[in-house]
Amino acid sequence: MTGENSETRTRNIRFSAAGVYIQGVKTALASRMAYRGDFIMSMLIMMIVEFGGPVITLIIYNNGASFPGWNQYEVLLLQGIFLLSRGIAFPFFMGIVWNTIGRVREGTFDLLLIKPRSILLMTVVTGFDSEDLGKLIGGILVFRYALKNLPVQPASHWVSFLILFVFSLILMFAFALFMAGLGIVWVGNYRIYDIFMSVIDFGLYPKSIFTKTFQSILTYIIPVSLLASYPASALLGDLDQSVFMALLSSVVFLLLGFMFYFKMVRNYTSAGG
Amino acid sequence: MQGTAVKKGNSPPRVFKSVITATFKEHMAYRSRMAVSVFAQPVYFLVNYFIWQAIFQIRDTVSGFTFGQMLSYFAVSSLVGFLNWDDSGNVLPMLVQTGGFITFQLRPVSHIYYSFFQKVGHRIMAFLIEMLPVVCFYIMLGINLVPAEPFWVLISLFLSFVLSFLINYTIGTFAFWFVRTDGVRRAVYLFTSICSGAFLPLNLFPYSFQKLLFYLPFQFIAYVPVRVFIGQYELAGITMSIPQIVFLQAVMVAVMFLVNRALWYMGIKHFTGVGA
Amino acid sequence: MIHVSELKKTFTTYERGGTFREALLSLFVRKRKTVDAVKGISFDIKEGELVGFLGPNGAGKSTTIKILTGILYPTSGTVDVMGFVPWKERKKYVRNIGAVFGQKSQLLWDIPPLDSFCLNQAIYRIPENEFRKTVNDMIEMLDLADLVKKPTRQLSLGERMKCEFIMAMLHKPKIVFLDEPTIGLDVIAKGKIRDFILEQNKRGTTFILTTHDLEDVEQLAKRVIVINHGEIVFDDSIEKLKHHLGEKRTVRITTRDRINMESREGIEVRRQISDYETEVLIDLSVVKLNEFIKKVNEESKTKDMSVEGPELEQIIKKLYTI
Repeated sequence: MTGENSETRTRNIRFSAAGVYIQGVKTALASRMAYRGDFIMSMLIMMIVEFGGPVITLIIYNNGASFPGWNQYEVLLLQGIFLLSRGIAFPFFMGIVWNTIGRVREGTFDLLLIKPRSILLMTVVTGFDSEDLGKLIGGILVFRYALKNLPVQPASHWVSFLILFVFSLILMFAFALFMAGLGIVWVGNYRIYDIFMSVIDFGLYPKSIFTKTFQSILTYIIPVSLLASYPASALLGDLDQSVFMALLSSVVFLLLGFMFYFKMVRNYTSAGG
Repeated sequence: MQGTAVKKGNSPPRVFKSVITATFKEHMAYRSRMAVSVFAQPVYFLVNYFIWQAIFQIRDTVSGFTFGQMLSYFAVSSLVGFLNWDDSGNVLPMLVQTGGFITFQLRPVSHIYYSFFQKVGHRIMAFLIEMLPVVCFYIMLGINLVPAEPFWVLISLFLSFVLSFLINYTIGTFAFWFVRTDGVRRAVYLFTSICSGAFLPLNLFPYSFQKLLFYLPFQFIAYVPVRVFIGQYELAGITMSIPQIVFLQAVMVAVMFLVNRALWYMGIKHFTGVGA
Repeated sequence: MIHVSELKKTFTTYERGGTFREALLSLFVRKRKTVDAVKGISFDIKEGELVGFLGPNGAGKSTTIKILTGILYPTSGTVDVMGFVPWKERKKYVRNIGAVFGQKSQLLWDIPPLDSFCLNQAIYRIPENEFRKTVNDMIEMLDLADLVKKPTRQLSLGERMKCEFIMAMLHKPKIVFLDEPTIGLDVIAKGKIRDFILEQNKRGTTFILTTHDLEDVEQLAKRVIVINHGEIVFDDSIEKLKHHLGEKRTVRITTRDRINMESREGIEVRRQISDYETEVLIDLSVVKLNEFIKKVNEESKTKDMSVEGPELEQIIKKLYTI
């Protein structure tokens, strides 16, 4: 009796959305490992590209300039958090963007639609991008380097940091939904990434360098400051009240993302791609 | 009789004119893709604006640039980027990989000129769709877009157009030897972009790196034309007059051309020897 | 099992224009165009049938199939498959269907098909022992042995197609949609795939076949539905299809003496290959074959002759151009 129950339990986990996702990750990794050398090289390049922002920061500070109120390690901490957020988002779920764009263009999006699972789940499952793990490594390195040169923070700061970091990932997922949805109707246009990259570029720098109007936009409308600025401030113990509005905006943004994505899927199943 | 008729129809200027028109039409299909730049570039620029505004709050100059000059640098640099962007470094490897390159070997057209005029066609489209709207944006922001010496700027822009083509095309030429070059090519592009001054004025880099940058051809793609625009050139402690640096640019174009032709002939020999 | 009634599907597309001027104008204003892809078709398919869907490209064939698989919803009309409305209950419905696309692979290129099967197992929630049994049975039936453990890129096209079939039928679907399943395969591989399809059909799986390969149709389909211009122009058994446009035979004659045949009632000269060889199309409802043969022999002394038909290709061509 108990044997059967545990078997059903393992089956339920294996066939749950998470189980299918893990299987998808395993498959994607196995597939990528077929070209091991190129994989390592690509991961390295990903990592180096990520260092761009931090390096520019270092050069600016090296020339004697600075962002008012932030020393170079504090800025690097912020950028490290930004890179960590990207480093988790890009390999684990950002892939839905190129996956959707590519499949819609080649006509293989239908292959996912005939599976007995949510199309969003199928797109995430088949969109794991192992190369982007290089971004995660880059983020970890910058984050650690910055931490080493800053005073140790109390646990309370770390807790609020972690909570905000989760919201940072939620925001990235919302962006992914918007881009994937766009990819369904704007066939084959990989430049959708460029729109997104330009907007989140605001997230690489402390909120305080922007004008009041922009700060409002970046908190209440498209809460890009949630990606790194707020979590960094939390970790450094410098959080202000506006963070709660940002959290609320990000949830709203996520809901809008879902609505937009599924509306675009509905469009696709009406127009036949 | 027949011979002369055929010759007239396929005279080089006519062929290249049709290449330009065909490429222009083809790119109408990608107008929405180009239009993305009209959004993305101003956004990137705004971020830069705020960064430097914050930095210049507590300083008057950074490495010789004032706030206005720094903004002009990034604005002009982005426009030069639109002018020079080309895909030949990706197109040639793809042709070689898919076997489509044979169609060029069988036609009486030299691929480098064909590629070059493809770029001309693309960039005319880019001028209309990408550059003009972005220029309007910069003017609205009050960025100084008046060149110090228009004559030299035009020459310098033309030279950087040709040079960026030659460099990209040469990178693509390595496809004759290596089959899968994606990862390496990306790395090379990143390196050349950094060294061209597109991300940051080259004279902000550490001094020792500046000395290396002076001898590489990449500074002539973005840094030099922007400097010519501003009206004053300086790198690694070396100052030159505008005519001098533009002359150096022309020399670099000639050198790059010869390097490319040499690599090309070696590449073709290797390619046809190994087999398509 | 499948009931389709008055199915209609209309698309709106935008025109861009071919000339330079039109292309430039299209930057600002686009012309709308509505296309009636499917204009009200109805048909029923029973369990265990093997139906061939034919039709020229753009005729509404793939639109109909997409609606049947639940990935497209119609403008109007009703569709009932095994009690489901495909596009309304997609996730539940597609559990019972499978699909093989000759031109779109579901296998991952660099890893063994077996790994792709495992992913499908998780997606379709197939219990472990059932999964293993199905995989092993199919591997045996398709004679694949250990090939499923080699990376897909190392398999031949025929072996890959066999794996695509396993992929599609792992979850034991009641209906399988086939789209160009034998495209690009050599003669032997085609035969093996066809045998497999017939075997599975005998075991109760319903197959819907879309193809341009008329040999596939002849060997597999017992019933053929031809769609053209969004309407069904033929829906009947394959025998009736062959006799649809009358009894026609292609006769190729080589003679000792010169032969110079002219087209007349019941006899259409397809081509005169040489003075001694000709190819004609004979309508058996007008001309008796043995009389024709006798007459040719008397006039020109037959050296060699071949009789072929009825030609499915001719019939289909005619149906496509109605």
